Amino acid sequence: MTLKEYVKDRTVFLLTNFVLFIIVGGIMMLVGINSQTVFLIFCIWFCPLILYMLIEYFKQKAFYDELTSITENLDQKYLLPEVMKEPETVEGKALYEVLRQANKDMHEHVKSFRDRENEYREYIETWIHEIKTPIASTRLIIENNQNDVTRNIQEEIKKIEEYIEQVLYYSRSNNVSKDYLIKEVPLVDLVRKVIKRNSRDFISKGISVNLEKVEGTVFSDAKWLEFILNQLIGNAIKYIRERNGKVNIHTVRNEHNIVLTIEDNGIGITEKDIHRVFEKGFTGENGRQFGKSTGIGLYLCKKLADQLGLGLTITSKAGEGTKVSIIFPLTNVNFMQ
Amino acid sequence: MSKILIIEDTETIREELKTFLNTYGFDTKAPTNFEHIIQETLNEAPDLILLDINLPIFDGYYICREIRKQSDVPIIVVTSRDNEMDELMSMNLGADDFVTKPYNTQILLARIETILRRVQGSSIRDTLVYNDLKLNLSNGSVTYQGEKAELTKNEIKILSCLYKNKGKIVSRDDLMDFMWNADVFVDDNNLSVNVTRLRKKLEALGMEKNIETRRGLGYILP
Repeated sequence: MTLKEYVKDRTVFLLTNFVLFIIVGGIMMLVGINSQTVFLIFCIWFCPLILYMLIEYFKQKAFYDELTSITENLDQKYLLPEVMKEPETVEGKALYEVLRQANKDMHEHVKSFRDRENEYREYIETWIHEIKTPIASTRLIIENNQNDVTRNIQEEIKKIEEYIEQVLYYSRSNNVSKDYLIKEVPLVDLVRKVIKRNSRDFISKGISVNLEKVEGTVFSDAKWLEFILNQLIGNAIKYIRERNGKVNIHTVRNEHNIVLTIEDNGIGITEKDIHRVFEKGFTGENGRQFGKSTGIGLYLCKKLADQLGLGLTITSKAGEGTKVSIIFPLTNVNFMQ
Repeated sequence: MSKILIIEDTETIREELKTFLNTYGFDTKAPTNFEHIIQETLNEAPDLILLDINLPIFDGYYICREIRKQSDVPIIVVTSRDNEMDELMSMNLGADDFVTKPYNTQILLARIETILRRVQGSSIRDTLVYNDLKLNLSNGSVTYQGEKAELTKNEIKILSCLYKNKGKIVSRDDLMDFMWNADVFVDDNNLSVNVTRLRKKLEALGMEKNIETRRGLGYILP
């Protein structure tokens, strides 16, 4: 708040006083009171007035400046009413009261949404555990009655499981920190595990795998990493061309990080799509052609990678293949090995 | 014959798991009443326990802890909870292994066999015998009527898979699946080459009727 703004705000009040004084002064001049007396009255009238306005200006300026600076420094700006001192002026008190009320209401509003979201999330997670029991039974029934029909059912069941896993990680993706467990993860074990999970697809599509140069150990949450890697390898399988498909997985150890790269020779991603693949719901040209993309997989990978403090990059050339890298930073913890 | 006790409240899983483990040569018991489950378990004196976590009356953690107080029987916890915390908790309570539902049955089987082998000693399962052909898994060699030959890792895997399915046709896909599950990521051409090489080695030992190819179906050890 500048002086100019303050004066502008009080224009009507000042103008009224001036007009009144001119009228009073005019009358006094008419009845023959001398101009010195009129000037004296002017001083008596206006000096306290202006002095009062100046004091009020500085008081208000201090108040609003403090408010502004607190707000600017606050991380969560809605916390302002909790942090600000209760003002002394009537206007300030009114403002303070209104802010508090609005804030309280907003908190209740947000809380109801948060509760609803939590309830929903808990329900989804319970549901996922429930659904796993019939899936486990189905698998056992299939195992005990093996023929071509059950083999096909098994393939479909596997897809259902993948989708269910995606739901689980999606629902957890907003608070990774609540259930992760950092431990030593040898990358080669992790990669092998995921390759084995997808062995049926690799074999039936005749895709060859090369993991000769996978080495190194990182400290992270094995479950979340496995999920990310499974999505990435799943994508590689999905977008690979029939016959002569190749997936090459290798690691490179740099000074500050270990980079795990998954390279395929699939259909690739066009240049105009590549920048958007991590967006939620983005399917791009390949998604339209394959008609099976949900646009969730890579979005989730990116989100989880961010939360785990990992980098995720993707490069691709349409028609030649795609390269996805997970970058594991080497912190002091990693040097302990 | 090893006796496995299945503590599981879902009837379908219980029954199918029994059938599955029976076909793989295990003796199974699956109690349906959970009221005196701990005493019952101890009376049965099984060689291994498959334990679910979500159970009526007592939960799996409690059962695990109570059994551990009186017995060292191997326990594999089988659950649909897949939290790392659940895994930690199970291990801390004295479980030997942790498998999440829905499990790959072959993996479950492999874990059961690993634990049993560790507990019962490894001598029995290291040598597979078929007709006069002996496959020694620990040093990777085959012996046929006194003649001996060394095998590569891939060849051992192929032969042991055919051994496990004696007299049955094993499709190329199943064979590859078996190998992939054992960390050998061979491709189609590679498999053919390996099988041919293995067959020649067996022939060189003097075994005339060994691995046969059934066109369009797979391989068989007749």
